[in-house]
Amino acid sequence: MYKTVLLLLCGALITATENVNKQLVLKNVDRSIDLTTQLVKVSATITIENTGKEATRTFLLVNEPNTPEERVSYIGAKESNKYELKVSKAKLDDYPDKSAYSVRLNQPLESGRTVTVTLEQILTRSLHPYPTSITQKEKQLVRYFGNHYFYTPYAVIKQKTDVMLSSRTIESYTKLKPVSQSDSTISYGPYNNIEPLTDDQMIVHFENNSPFLTVTRLERSIEISHWGNIAVEENIEIRHTGALLKGPFSRYDYQRDTATTHHSVKAYRTILPAAAHSIYYRDSNGNISTSAVKPFKDWIQLELRPRFPLFGGWKTSYTLGYSVPSYQYLFKKPSGEYVLVMRLLDHVFDDMHVEELITSVILPVGVSNIKVVPPYEVERLEDEVTYKYLDNLGRKVIRLRKTNLVEQHIQDLEISYNWQQAMLLHEPILIALALFLMFILAIIYVRLDFSLSKPEHSKKE
Amino acid sequence: MVGSEKLMRYVSPVNPAVFPHLTLVLLGIGIFFTAWFFVYEVTSTKKTRDFKKEVSVALVASVFSGFGVLFLLLSVGIYV
Repeated sequence: MYKTVLLLLCGALITATENVNKQLVLKNVDRSIDLTTQLVKVSATITIENTGKEATRTFLLVNEPNTPEERVSYIGAKESNKYELKVSKAKLDDYPDKSAYSVRLNQPLESGRTVTVTLEQILTRSLHPYPTSITQKEKQLVRYFGNHYFYTPYAVIKQKTDVMLSSRTIESYTKLKPVSQSDSTISYGPYNNIEPLTDDQMIVHFENNSPFLTVTRLERSIEISHWGNIAVEENIEIRHTGALLKGPFSRYDYQRDTATTHHSVKAYRTILPAAAHSIYYRDSNGNISTSAVKPFKDWIQLELRPRFPLFGGWKTSYTLGYSVPSYQYLFKKPSGEYVLVMRLLDHVFDDMHVEELITSVILPVGVSNIKVVPPYEVERLEDEVTYKYLDNLGRKVIRLRKTNLVEQHIQDLEISYNWQQAMLLHEPILIALALFLMFILAIIYVRLDFSLSKPEHSKKE
Repeated sequence: MVGSEKLMRYVSPVNPAVFPHLTLVLLGIGIFFTAWFFVYEVTSTKKTRDFKKEVSVALVASVFSGFGVLFLLLSVGIYV
């Protein structure tokens, strides 16, 4: 009974309906939209004023009408650039069709006071190649569909927006005055006294040759050995999601073309932990020899070059694995409980976009009382049992799944479990028993007599 | 992050740097006893054969070889 009440409570918290507090006014919004990579990074500094009588603790964020919820990968909020604020999904009573988030301030906002909040939003799949297919020599052009105004359920007194582009080549952009362009930045605004939820479409059509690479599936497995090692293996499927390649591919032209800005992807860099060793990079054909390891003080840089350059619509898959010593990620509590603190997702390339992540943690033999603390909401798949070397009992596998991830999701996962140190002896005893069995067989064999005739000396005796 | 309880970093009960040496010593002893066992088996006759001696030599050989093989696996990088 108690449990169901708790569940109901939790359910109520997740889908809490909220009313828009009309007393809140945004005094100033300073927004910048970074379109230099394949991701859309929107950051906004907003100054909120409480013009009402009562103090309030939450304010709401609403997704733009042309930004469906599944394109929003990450939302973060910070108060005065320091303290992280809690952002949770919310449903609006006044606008039930809009997807919204509620942000909880650290302190209640008293009437007449202001607070400055920095918002960060990462959108994926929001830059659309246009034209959608290009030849090998052409440049890649993309379109961004946004909003000239900060889309919010509150009235905004003053706002301006800067759009940062990856190149000076701009085909077109919507001109809502006042607007100015300098180099690769378009500045919109300031606009004064904008009504709540005002929508005015902004379209920017520009050249963007940054790698449009999407990890369509990433299977990350973490295997713990209490002999002092953690083995990590990542099975990665990558797809170039930029403009499709039209016409033939000429290796000769590709080799001659030395321009640094090209829409195809030749190589990319992966960052591994500094303690990583025994690194391997292979695919279903075998080892891929075009990789280079460069150790730095705090990390290891791995330059990976796929077997072929990636053009729009092309895909490749590979396996990347390494080992790290256990003392960096495995801890022991005085109560005898073990805690694994390891990244749920790790870096694949800069400004990456991972469509689907499945992380499986292979625990040692004989664990009990497993507790999983993910850094953010993830889907827990059914536990599995796997068999590794010298394993007759099977090891428990914890599997977690999440879709639509970006760099901001590289955070630590915590798994704690109970385990007996004596279980370390399981493997050597298994080998010893097998060898002993062999000796016993030898002892039995020498006592068997396979001869057809009785040996002569036995007659004499 | 992790609870307020004091956490200790987990290190292997055996220093990985000594895995190759342990392999050499344990597997050496194991192979010696294995050899002794088989030499004894083929040289002894029905009359001179002592079951207790056979089993005890086999036991020592299997325990040392078992641990030796384990550390061999660990030192080549197969973390079981």
